[in-house]
Amino acid sequence: MHTHEFVLQARIDVETLDHWLRAGWLMPRENAGDGGFSQVDVARAQLIGDLQDLGINDEGIPVILDLVDQVHGLRNMLREVLTTINTEQRARP
Amino acid sequence: MAADPYTVLGVKKGASQDDIQKAYRRLAKKLHPDLNPGNKKAEEQFKDVSAAYDLLGDTEKRARFDRGEIDASGAERPRHRYYRDFSEANPYTSDAGFEDFADAEDILSQIFGGRAGRAGRGNLRMRGSDVHYRLSLDFIDAVNGGKQHITLPDGSVLDVDIPPGIRDGQILRLRGKGQPGIGGGSPGDALVEIEVRPHRIFTRKGDDIHVEVPISLSEAVLGGKIKVPTPSGPVTMTVPKWSNTGTVLRLKGKGVPRAGGGHGDEFVALKIMLPEKPDPELEKFVAQWRGAYSPRQAMEV
Repeated sequence: MHTHEFVLQARIDVETLDHWLRAGWLMPRENAGDGGFSQVDVARAQLIGDLQDLGINDEGIPVILDLVDQVHGLRNMLREVLTTINTEQRARP
Repeated sequence: MAADPYTVLGVKKGASQDDIQKAYRRLAKKLHPDLNPGNKKAEEQFKDVSAAYDLLGDTEKRARFDRGEIDASGAERPRHRYYRDFSEANPYTSDAGFEDFADAEDILSQIFGGRAGRAGRGNLRMRGSDVHYRLSLDFIDAVNGGKQHITLPDGSVLDVDIPPGIRDGQILRLRGKGQPGIGGGSPGDALVEIEVRPHRIFTRKGDDIHVEVPISLSEAVLGGKIKVPTPSGPVTMTVPKWSNTGTVLRLKGKGVPRAGGGHGDEFVALKIMLPEKPDPELEKFVAQWRGAYSPRQAMEV
């Protein structure tokens, strides 16, 4: 989605967006051609907003984002491991 | 939701705004769905807590609620999906969490067959950081603009286009001239802070140039054409007859170029100068001159 649509959905202003892009907190797909924002970015932007409401400062936000992303990666991996084990067990006599 | 927002946040009716914010933060930190990706219950509770805070965190809404003008329902903030809802198709997701599982690599690759070395591993993409420089300019170079360059510590040279009329303290942003990005991320910017050195004779006020130009006694009394300096080179100017020290003449358009086109003006302040060495002829001539004029009348002396 385009930048103007993104800032509407994420409820932030363009300056804030610029700041977040510079800080690397949001990374729209560069080759998407239309600004590159997706619903994932909207949800991530709202998470950043919530974190700021919680009193997390600019130094803390990237730390939390990184850890949240790692937790997601680990959960995905764990889910795949469990699914695989489950399938193998069922395949056995 | 219809529960009493004070109960939801666990604060007394008379709690201060500060206490309400503290209570919200304490609960939200524990309940935010994105900080509890596996906890389904957290989402429901977080919704109640944030709805309660929407109501009580805003002094105006809180006052209306206390007066009974609005109730706790309908205070829910419409919300898109949470970040955690995307965790399976999320390009930000990082697999860095098990990079130290060197031994597990074999097991994982057995489990996943040909899909070992999963996509996403190590694909950290970050924009490069910005780099700050200072560039000191001659007064005239700042007024007229042009190309300048900065030699960087590593010996490379950064070309900087100075727009005409740049001011002291202004910062130029050179897109993409900062540190390179990581993993295909875009490079940072170079931020160049401009320092303008003062000039020997010109001073600048906004887009106008001010300069003091000495004239001789005869030029002051009789008038005439004189050459005056401007930032873009000397120009000829007419001094009207009977010009005094302190007379200010304007040279239209000889000031600093403006960003939107056009120029400021140059203001020339005249100052009568007597010859440096005493001139007997002039002394003799002035001695014969008997003027009744007293320039100090206004001072009452």
